[in-house]
Amino acid sequence: MSSRRLFISSMTAICLSPWHRAQASTSDAQQVISKIIGNQSVKTGRIYFELPPLVENGNLVAVKCAVQSPMTANDYVKVIHMIAEGNPLPNVVSCYFTPLSGKAEFSTRIRLADSQRVWVLAQMSNGEFWRTSADTVVTLSACTEMI
Amino acid sequence: MSRSSRAVVTFSNQVKRGELFSIRAIVQHDMESGFRHTEQGVRVPRDIIREFVCTYNGRPVFRADLHPGIGSNPVFIFDAKADQSGVIECRWSGDNDYLTVLQQPITVL
Repeated sequence: MSSRRLFISSMTAICLSPWHRAQASTSDAQQVISKIIGNQSVKTGRIYFELPPLVENGNLVAVKCAVQSPMTANDYVKVIHMIAEGNPLPNVVSCYFTPLSGKAEFSTRIRLADSQRVWVLAQMSNGEFWRTSADTVVTLSACTEMI
Repeated sequence: MSRSSRAVVTFSNQVKRGELFSIRAIVQHDMESGFRHTEQGVRVPRDIIREFVCTYNGRPVFRADLHPGIGSNPVFIFDAKADQSGVIECRWSGDNDYLTVLQQPITVL
Protein backbone atom coordinates (compact mmCIF):
# COMPACT_ATOMS: atom_id res chain seq x y z
CA MET A 1 0.00 0.00 0.00
CA SER A 2 1.39 3.40 -0.90
CA SER A 3 2.17 5.64 2.00
CA ARG A 4 -0.31 8.22 0.74
CA ARG A 5 -3.14 5.68 0.65
CA LEU A 6 -2.11 4.40 4.10
CA PHE A 7 -2.12 7.99 5.40
CA ILE A 8 -5.60 8.68 4.01
CA SER A 9 -7.08 5.46 5.34
CA SER A 10 -5.55 5.93 8.80
CA MET A 11 -6.77 9.52 9.01
CA THR A 12 -10.25 8.34 8.05
CA ALA A 13 -10.11 5.69 10.76
CA ILE A 14 -9.10 8.32 13.33
CA CYS A 15 -11.92 10.62 12.27
CA LEU A 16 -14.51 7.88 12.51
CA SER A 17 -13.35 6.33 15.79
CA PRO A 18 -15.34 7.32 18.87
CA TRP A 19 -12.42 8.95 20.63
CA HIS A 20 -14.41 11.25 22.87
CA ARG A 21 -16.63 8.92 24.86
CA ALA A 22 -16.78 11.32 27.81
CA GLN A 23 -20.17 12.55 26.59
CA ALA A 24 -23.43 10.71 26.29
CA SER A 25 -24.72 10.39 22.77
CA THR A 26 -28.21 11.03 21.48
CA SER A 27 -28.95 7.32 21.74
CA ASP A 28 -27.92 7.26 25.43
CA ALA A 29 -30.46 9.99 26.10
CA GLN A 30 -33.09 8.12 24.08
CA GLN A 31 -32.36 5.01 26.15
CA VAL A 32 -32.90 6.98 29.36
CA ILE A 33 -36.17 8.36 27.98
CA SER A 34 -37.43 4.95 26.86
CA LYS A 35 -36.50 3.50 30.26
CA ILE A 36 -38.73 6.11 31.91
CA ILE A 37 -41.70 5.79 29.57
CA GLY A 38 -41.52 2.02 29.00
CA ASN A 39 -43.77 1.05 26.09
CA GLN A 40 -46.23 3.92 26.49
CA SER A 41 -46.73 6.63 23.90
CA VAL A 42 -45.50 10.19 24.36
CA LYS A 43 -47.27 13.32 23.19
CA THR A 44 -45.44 16.51 22.34
CA GLY A 45 -46.37 19.83 23.91
CA ARG A 46 -48.17 21.07 27.04
CA ILE A 47 -44.81 21.82 28.72
CA TYR A 48 -43.29 25.26 29.00
CA PHE A 49 -39.51 24.97 29.11
CA GLU A 50 -37.23 27.96 29.48
CA LEU A 51 -33.61 27.31 28.52
CA PRO A 52 -31.31 30.15 27.42
CA PRO A 53 -30.45 29.67 23.71
CA LEU A 54 -26.88 30.84 24.26
CA VAL A 55 -25.03 29.87 27.43
CA GLU A 56 -21.70 31.46 28.31
CA ASN A 57 -20.85 29.20 31.21
CA GLY A 58 -22.20 25.66 31.29
CA ASN A 59 -21.55 25.30 35.03
CA LEU A 60 -24.68 27.17 36.04
CA VAL A 61 -27.55 27.41 33.61
CA ALA A 62 -30.85 28.71 34.98
CA VAL A 63 -33.81 26.70 33.70
CA LYS A 64 -37.53 26.85 34.33
CA CYS A 65 -40.17 24.21 33.65
CA ALA A 66 -43.94 24.43 33.89
CA VAL A 67 -46.74 22.10 32.91
CA GLN A 68 -50.35 23.23 32.56
CA SER A 69 -52.50 21.27 34.97
CA PRO A 70 -55.39 21.94 37.35
CA MET A 71 -53.39 20.13 40.12
CA THR A 72 -56.46 18.58 41.75
CA ALA A 73 -56.45 15.30 43.68
CA ASN A 74 -57.27 13.23 40.60
CA ASP A 75 -55.61 15.31 37.86
CA TYR A 76 -52.11 16.55 38.59
CA VAL A 77 -48.57 16.37 37.27
CA LYS A 78 -46.74 13.53 38.97
CA VAL A 79 -43.17 14.05 37.82
CA ILE A 80 -41.05 16.16 35.47
CA HIS A 81 -37.77 14.67 34.23
CA MET A 82 -35.00 16.68 32.60
CA ILE A 83 -32.60 14.87 30.27
CA ALA A 84 -29.53 16.44 28.63
CA GLU A 85 -28.28 14.63 25.52
CA GLY A 86 -24.74 15.97 25.62
CA ASN A 87 -23.92 15.44 29.30
CA PRO A 88 -21.78 12.52 30.52
CA LEU A 89 -24.86 11.37 32.44
CA PRO A 90 -28.05 12.32 30.58
CA ASN A 91 -30.24 12.41 33.71
CA VAL A 92 -30.24 15.88 35.22
CA VAL A 93 -33.13 16.04 37.65
CA SER A 94 -36.52 14.46 38.34
CA CYS A 95 -39.05 16.59 40.22
CA TYR A 96 -42.12 15.05 41.86
CA PHE A 97 -45.25 17.08 42.57
CA THR A 98 -48.41 16.56 44.59
CA PRO A 99 -51.81 18.32 44.50
CA LEU A 100 -50.50 20.39 47.42
CA SER A 101 -47.91 21.92 45.08
CA GLY A 102 -50.74 23.92 43.51
CA LYS A 103 -48.73 24.45 40.36
CA ALA A 104 -46.43 22.12 38.40
CA GLU A 105 -43.57 24.52 38.04
CA PHE A 106 -39.95 24.68 39.18
CA SER A 107 -36.74 26.58 38.54
CA THR A 108 -33.22 25.36 39.17
CA ARG A 109 -29.67 25.62 37.85
CA ILE A 110 -28.16 22.84 35.79
CA ARG A 111 -24.79 21.96 34.23
CA LEU A 112 -24.34 21.55 30.50
CA ALA A 113 -21.23 19.84 29.13
CA ASP A 114 -21.72 20.89 25.51
CA SER A 115 -24.00 22.56 22.99
CA GLN A 116 -26.92 20.20 22.91
CA ARG A 117 -30.62 19.45 23.05
CA VAL A 118 -32.28 19.17 26.47
CA TRP A 119 -35.46 17.13 26.85
CA VAL A 120 -38.22 17.60 29.38
CA LEU A 121 -40.55 14.69 30.04
CA ALA A 122 -43.66 15.01 32.18
CA GLN A 123 -45.89 12.27 33.55
CA MET A 124 -49.45 13.05 34.60
CA SER A 125 -51.32 11.36 37.45
CA ASN A 126 -53.20 9.21 34.88
CA GLY A 127 -49.91 7.89 33.51
CA GLU A 128 -49.91 9.99 30.33
CA PHE A 129 -46.52 11.24 29.07
CA TRP A 130 -45.76 14.57 27.45
CA ARG A 131 -42.44 15.91 26.25
CA THR A 132 -40.71 18.91 24.81
CA SER A 133 -37.13 19.88 24.01
CA ALA A 134 -34.94 22.93 23.61
CA ASP A 135 -31.58 23.46 21.94
CA THR A 136 -28.78 25.54 23.36
CA VAL A 137 -25.26 26.62 22.44
CA VAL A 138 -22.68 26.43 25.24
CA THR A 139 -19.44 28.39 24.90
CA LEU A 140 -17.70 27.24 28.10
CA SER A 141 -18.60 23.70 29.05
CA ALA A 142 -18.97 22.22 32.52
CA CYS A 143 -17.44 19.04 33.91
CA THR A 144 -14.31 18.91 31.77
CA GLU A 145 -11.99 21.28 33.58
CA MET A 146 -9.07 20.09 35.73
CA ILE A 147 -8.91 20.97 39.38
CA MET B 1 -22.31 11.79 62.50
CA SER B 2 -23.72 13.27 59.36
CA ARG B 3 -22.33 16.21 57.44
CA SER B 4 -24.49 19.23 56.87
CA SER B 5 -24.14 22.75 55.50
CA ARG B 6 -25.76 26.14 55.40
CA ALA B 7 -29.20 26.30 53.83
CA VAL B 8 -31.68 29.11 53.26
CA VAL B 9 -35.39 28.67 52.61
CA THR B 10 -37.43 31.75 51.77
CA PHE B 11 -41.18 32.26 51.41
CA SER B 12 -43.56 34.96 52.56
CA ASN B 13 -44.32 34.18 56.19
CA GLN B 14 -47.98 35.27 56.01
CA VAL B 15 -50.14 33.84 53.24
CA LYS B 16 -53.88 33.94 52.62
CA ARG B 17 -55.72 30.62 52.76
CA GLY B 18 -56.09 28.97 49.36
CA GLU B 19 -53.41 31.10 47.74
CA LEU B 20 -50.26 29.79 46.11
CA PHE B 21 -46.94 30.91 47.48
CA SER B 22 -43.48 30.44 46.12
CA ILE B 23 -40.75 28.63 48.09
CA ARG B 24 -37.09 29.15 47.29
CA ALA B 25 -34.65 26.65 48.79
CA ILE B 26 -30.91 26.93 48.40
CA VAL B 27 -28.16 24.92 50.07
CA GLN B 28 -24.39 25.19 50.10
CA HIS B 29 -22.87 22.15 48.35
CA ASP B 30 -20.09 21.60 45.80
CA MET B 31 -22.02 18.89 43.92
CA GLU B 32 -18.77 17.22 42.84
CA SER B 33 -19.86 15.52 39.63
CA GLY B 34 -17.44 12.58 39.61
CA PHE B 35 -16.42 13.41 36.03
CA ARG B 36 -13.58 15.76 36.89
CA HIS B 37 -9.90 14.84 37.15
CA THR B 38 -6.99 16.36 39.03
CA GLU B 39 -3.88 17.44 37.13
CA GLN B 40 -2.35 14.04 37.96
CA GLY B 41 -5.23 12.38 36.11
CA VAL B 42 -6.90 11.01 39.22
CA ARG B 43 -10.70 11.07 39.06
CA VAL B 44 -12.35 13.09 41.82
CA PRO B 45 -15.00 10.85 43.41
CA ARG B 46 -18.64 11.80 43.13
CA ASP B 47 -20.08 13.67 46.12
CA ILE B 48 -23.53 15.11 45.46
CA ILE B 49 -26.87 15.69 47.11
CA ARG B 50 -29.15 12.87 45.97
CA GLU B 51 -32.53 13.97 47.17
CA PHE B 52 -34.39 17.09 48.16
CA VAL B 53 -37.76 16.82 49.91
CA CYS B 54 -40.09 19.61 51.02
CA THR B 55 -43.00 18.84 53.32
CA TYR B 56 -45.77 21.10 54.63
CA ASN B 57 -47.02 19.92 58.05
CA GLY B 58 -45.65 16.48 57.21
CA ARG B 59 -47.39 16.26 53.81
CA PRO B 60 -45.15 16.11 50.72
CA VAL B 61 -45.18 19.21 48.50
CA PHE B 62 -42.16 18.79 46.28
CA ARG B 63 -39.43 16.20 45.87
CA ALA B 64 -36.47 16.12 43.54
CA ASP B 65 -33.96 13.40 42.62
CA LEU B 66 -30.68 15.14 41.89
CA HIS B 67 -27.96 13.92 39.54
CA PRO B 68 -24.48 15.33 38.78
CA GLY B 69 -26.11 17.55 36.15
CA ILE B 70 -27.32 19.91 38.87
CA GLY B 71 -25.03 22.87 39.47
CA SER B 72 -23.21 23.56 42.73
CA ASN B 73 -25.23 25.12 45.55
CA PRO B 74 -28.51 23.69 44.26
CA VAL B 75 -31.51 26.01 44.13
CA PHE B 76 -35.12 24.97 43.77
CA ILE B 77 -37.96 27.41 43.34
CA PHE B 78 -41.43 25.88 43.42
CA ASP B 79 -44.94 26.57 44.68
CA ALA B 80 -47.23 25.33 47.42
CA LYS B 81 -50.86 25.91 48.22
CA ALA B 82 -51.56 27.53 51.61
CA ASP B 83 -54.25 25.70 53.57
CA GLN B 84 -53.16 25.69 57.22
CA SER B 85 -50.59 27.31 59.48
CA GLY B 86 -47.69 25.11 60.41
CA VAL B 87 -44.16 24.20 59.47
CA ILE B 88 -42.40 23.94 56.13
CA GLU B 89 -39.57 21.42 56.32
CA CYS B 90 -36.83 21.10 53.71
CA ARG B 91 -34.49 18.13 53.77
CA TRP B 92 -31.44 17.54 51.60
CA SER B 93 -29.68 14.18 51.75
CA GLY B 94 -26.75 12.85 49.78
CA ASP B 95 -23.43 11.04 49.51
CA ASN B 96 -21.08 10.54 52.47
CA ASP B 97 -23.82 10.85 55.10
CA TYR B 98 -24.82 14.31 54.00
CA LEU B 99 -28.01 15.59 55.64
CA THR B 100 -29.35 19.09 56.12
CA VAL B 101 -32.82 19.74 57.55
CA LEU B 102 -34.41 23.15 57.90
CA GLN B 103 -37.80 23.91 59.47
CA GLN B 104 -39.58 27.22 59.18
CA PRO B 105 -43.00 28.29 60.45
CA ILE B 106 -45.72 29.59 58.14
CA THR B 107 -48.82 31.55 59.12
CA VAL B 108 -51.95 31.18 57.02
CA LEU B 109 -54.51 33.95 57.45
